Amino acid sequence: MIPQLEKLKRECLDAIAKATDTEQLQEVEVKFIGRKGELTNILRGVKDLNDNEKPVIGKLSNEIKNELEQAIAAKKQKIESKALNAQLEDPTFDVTAPGPDRQKGHIHPLSQVQKEVEDIFTSMGFMIKDGPEAESEYYNFEGLNIPAWHPARDMQDTFFIKNKEDKKHGRMVLRTHTSPVQVRTMEEFGAPLRMIVPGRTFRYEATDASHDTTFYQVEGLMIDKHISISHLKGVLKQFLSKLFGREVKVRIRPGYFPFVEPGLEVDFSCLICEGKGCRVCKKTGWVEFMGAGMVHENVLKAGGIDPKKWQGWAFGFGLTRLVMMRHGIDDIRHNLSGDLRFVNQF
Amino acid sequence: MYISLNWIKDFVDLDPKLDPQELGDLFTVRTAEIEGFEDLSKVYNDMVVGKVEKLEKHPNADKLQVCMVDLGDEKVQIVCGGVNLFEGMMVPVAKVGSWVKWHGEGDPVQLDSVKLRGVESFGMICAGEEIGLAPTGDHIVDMTEMDVKPGQPLAEIYGTDDVVIEVDNKSLTHRPDLWGHYGIAREFAAIYGKKLQEFNLDLGFPSKGDQIDIKIEDYELCPRYCGVIVKNIKVEESPKWLQDRLIAVGHRPISNIVDITNYVMAELGQPLHAFDRSFINGGIVVRRANKGEKITTLDGEERKLDDTMLVIADHKKPVALAGVMGGENSEIQEGTTEIIIESANFNAQNIRTTSTKLGLRTEAVQRFEKALDPVLAETAIKRTCELILQLCPDAEIAGPINDVNKGLPEELKVKFDTEAASSKIGVEISSNECKKILESLQFKVSGKGKVLDVTVPTWRATKDVDIEDDLVEEIVRMYGYENVPETMPELPITAPMPNVERTLKHKARQMLAHEHGMSEVYNYSFYGKDELRKCLMVEDNHVLLDNFLSSDQTHLRVSLVPNLLKNVADNLRYFDGFRLFEVGRTYIEEGKFFPIEDKIFGGMVVLPKKSKGEIFYEAKAIVEGFLQDFLGSDIEFELPDDPRPFVHSSRIASIKVGEEVVGYVGEIHPQVLKNWDIEAKVAGFEINFTKLAAMELDFVKYKPIPKFQGLDIDISVVLPRERKVAEIEKKIREADPKLIERVKLFDIYQGENIEDDKKALAFRVLLQAEDRTLTDEEMAKVQKKIFRNLENLGGVIRGK
Repeated sequence: MIPQLEKLKRECLDAIAKATDTEQLQEVEVKFIGRKGELTNILRGVKDLNDNEKPVIGKLSNEIKNELEQAIAAKKQKIESKALNAQLEDPTFDVTAPGPDRQKGHIHPLSQVQKEVEDIFTSMGFMIKDGPEAESEYYNFEGLNIPAWHPARDMQDTFFIKNKEDKKHGRMVLRTHTSPVQVRTMEEFGAPLRMIVPGRTFRYEATDASHDTTFYQVEGLMIDKHISISHLKGVLKQFLSKLFGREVKVRIRPGYFPFVEPGLEVDFSCLICEGKGCRVCKKTGWVEFMGAGMVHENVLKAGGIDPKKWQGWAFGFGLTRLVMMRHGIDDIRHNLSGDLRFVNQF
Repeated sequence: MYISLNWIKDFVDLDPKLDPQELGDLFTVRTAEIEGFEDLSKVYNDMVVGKVEKLEKHPNADKLQVCMVDLGDEKVQIVCGGVNLFEGMMVPVAKVGSWVKWHGEGDPVQLDSVKLRGVESFGMICAGEEIGLAPTGDHIVDMTEMDVKPGQPLAEIYGTDDVVIEVDNKSLTHRPDLWGHYGIAREFAAIYGKKLQEFNLDLGFPSKGDQIDIKIEDYELCPRYCGVIVKNIKVEESPKWLQDRLIAVGHRPISNIVDITNYVMAELGQPLHAFDRSFINGGIVVRRANKGEKITTLDGEERKLDDTMLVIADHKKPVALAGVMGGENSEIQEGTTEIIIESANFNAQNIRTTSTKLGLRTEAVQRFEKALDPVLAETAIKRTCELILQLCPDAEIAGPINDVNKGLPEELKVKFDTEAASSKIGVEISSNECKKILESLQFKVSGKGKVLDVTVPTWRATKDVDIEDDLVEEIVRMYGYENVPETMPELPITAPMPNVERTLKHKARQMLAHEHGMSEVYNYSFYGKDELRKCLMVEDNHVLLDNFLSSDQTHLRVSLVPNLLKNVADNLRYFDGFRLFEVGRTYIEEGKFFPIEDKIFGGMVVLPKKSKGEIFYEAKAIVEGFLQDFLGSDIEFELPDDPRPFVHSSRIASIKVGEEVVGYVGEIHPQVLKNWDIEAKVAGFEINFTKLAAMELDFVKYKPIPKFQGLDIDISVVLPRERKVAEIEKKIREADPKLIERVKLFDIYQGENIEDDKKALAFRVLLQAEDRTLTDEEMAKVQKKIFRNLENLGGVIRGK
């Protein structure tokens, strides 16, 4: 009996060694130690043996069974890990082929930059205001200390609306700047005040690569007890440095806008040449950026704020220009072209 | 405006070694923007006198000649188009490497050797305007009669050692005092702490003699008029020094008298005019023009005037358009011997209005409209006389100046609180320092302590400086904006009042772009009649532009659709399917002064014509997904009461949130697509974002997760095609509103095996109870009721 068992064991181990996949191994398992397997049959016959043989054969059979089970398990693991390795090693798979198309949308760069500007000023406690685009002459001009005959109206080539005129408002215009919202907001909230107005503005002028009838501005206004030009420099430096993600220098020089006194022009250090002088900054190292100044007492009065008690500054800059500078857009007309070849780049 | 640095140096002793760039930079941050400068001593670098030795016709061009030119130490070939060339002619030659202005325009360009129509040319034979001389047009400057020799540098003949600075006119809008060299010199003196030469005129005027009769009819429009007669003048060319200066600052020399008036204007900023006295009948009358009166101005144009315009007239006719331009009828001519010099002050606003009405802007207008100092009129007329006597030794001032005015303005005084000024600047500037700065600019300052009494000089007192803040500007600019530190205001931290609409707008953009694959476009706020016609729209409710630049920009939009359809048509040239949206305002006339400006989200979904499926549902899915995410609540679609002209009348649904209609979604009208030449499937939507943002958005309310398993019932039903999904769903729910948790359509079929007027729909209905697992009997009961309800709608249940 013993040699028969040993033979069976050898045969089985041999078959395990020869098995190359899990199916073959399964067959071996069934053949030898399955419910109707050869070894199982022997084991089943142990109970019929005489008392001398029974313990010896029984023990041996069980040992062999265990041994074979382990051998099968070991082989099974070996086969599986080989298969897994084969699966992991696949030089035919091409990671450079594209994934399935998905419809991807793009947000216009003007919206993107506008949001950034809003977020920066909001973090400094400025509220964001809106005003009408079809505006009255009063808010667009007179309320801002720009009377009808004023030379500054030369700078404001204006779209007028047909058949819209009344005593209080004058004619109706498409606002030429976001500044009318200054007086409107003063009327609404009084002082103190911190706000910006990003918005659409219009000029009646022929279009070319750098001029369009429609563009975007951002107005800023800060009014409190002791607000100064020094604060304007500070706030603008913070704003620009946050917006461009690096230290930006701010230069202030005299400028003229009827709604501020003193009036200021604000430049920032050219980001292309770091102030050394290049084509973008016309070799000056500075980029003209905004008009600003201390709010004129007549404007405060128009907004119902007492200039003896309150003071502050206002600024206005071209959002469109900022977007064009930031992205190197060479023609302003792309912005309102509706051309997806433009928008889909952002 | 151009400023000659040499001229400035007549009045202020500037350091000769001063770098013009630095000088310009400093002036820019103290006073007004300097746009650039030109060193005139370098203008004639590499330019010499040449002698035309040989002229030949250009083989390939009729208007060009090939010249062999002797430049002294070399002979070069130059191709030239000058019409007055002859052999032996002495000409100015710009050699290769020199800088010239093409046709006198634009920025100078550097010359290179070139082939002109196949013939090589080494340099250029120049016309006057190309090298900064008096213009000669298609003629070449003829130097033959001059005492010159070939190779002689042009700098020796025409050169000056001046530097010309260009000041940005816009930054002088509020500074009438800076429209002449003396005013600019005053600023330089203050900037550099130098002394300004006084403008001394010790010129004797006869106390008696021939005086021109002057009558001002409207002192409002002409507060002061000075006139003087000068006899025995001889009209001739001005001397070189004067011509040089005029050319340097951009004036074309004409003849001595005219040149002198221009010179004094450039020097003092006061425009002047000289009349030939022989054409003046009687005396001068300053009056409003008669309505319809005509005058031919010096530019040869006949101008029709109205009674708001001021003219200078004699006793018979207008002889000048006051403060704008002289008249042809009294112009100085070659033989003129006796002149009347006018130096007057006019109302700024009136000059500006007249100029705008006539479309005539002149150097005089540019200055008068800034509101000139009336004192200047007298200084200028004296200076003019001085120069005439200098240039025409025989000239004789005929009598005293006739100075007609109703008194000059009183001194303007402003109280100046130096502490308040410091607070506005953000730097402590002492009372003493303020005083010093103001005095350097020739303000008179008295008083001690923190409040000063400041007298504004006449040249700053007309419009420029009249309130305390104007003086703050004087202090801070001279103190130096660069010396003001950057500080952050110390204010209480407050969360700014949120702008919900703005915040939501950005969020909505992100949702549409990133979740629904739509790209954002921006469009103009206007369109024109043609766009209206294409969209089958009427003109009602539109706000119209009074002035417009093109016919497609006449109406303010009441819908985003016309411009979006234009975008669709344009983009179809490059893409065959896409989605785009815009956030913009519409302007709806409602009879009040201000139109209604609502913010609208508009979108278009475009698929190729051959693509499968209904484009309507593509757009609807976006709107539904977007609004559900955005609002966190359900929305409804129903056939609208107010169809849109540009949308297919059966394929449009209004979008309802609660009881409020916030917009519509629909397939674009086939005729509209045709009008726009759009060959694609297009559906669009407009959502009134102003309404949407004003809704009170509730936070999502949590519902307990069901403890008991729900049961699904699948129902397939065949119904007439007119039946709408919404009403069918409603009927299903009515079977047991309490147990039916969800009804979802998962298939809809029309076609084979179904009658033509029918459609098959398959719904999955979820039954759910909060407190128990439902029994089969309960389910069967609900199912039976659903079947009955559907059959009542004319449905046939499949597989029943």
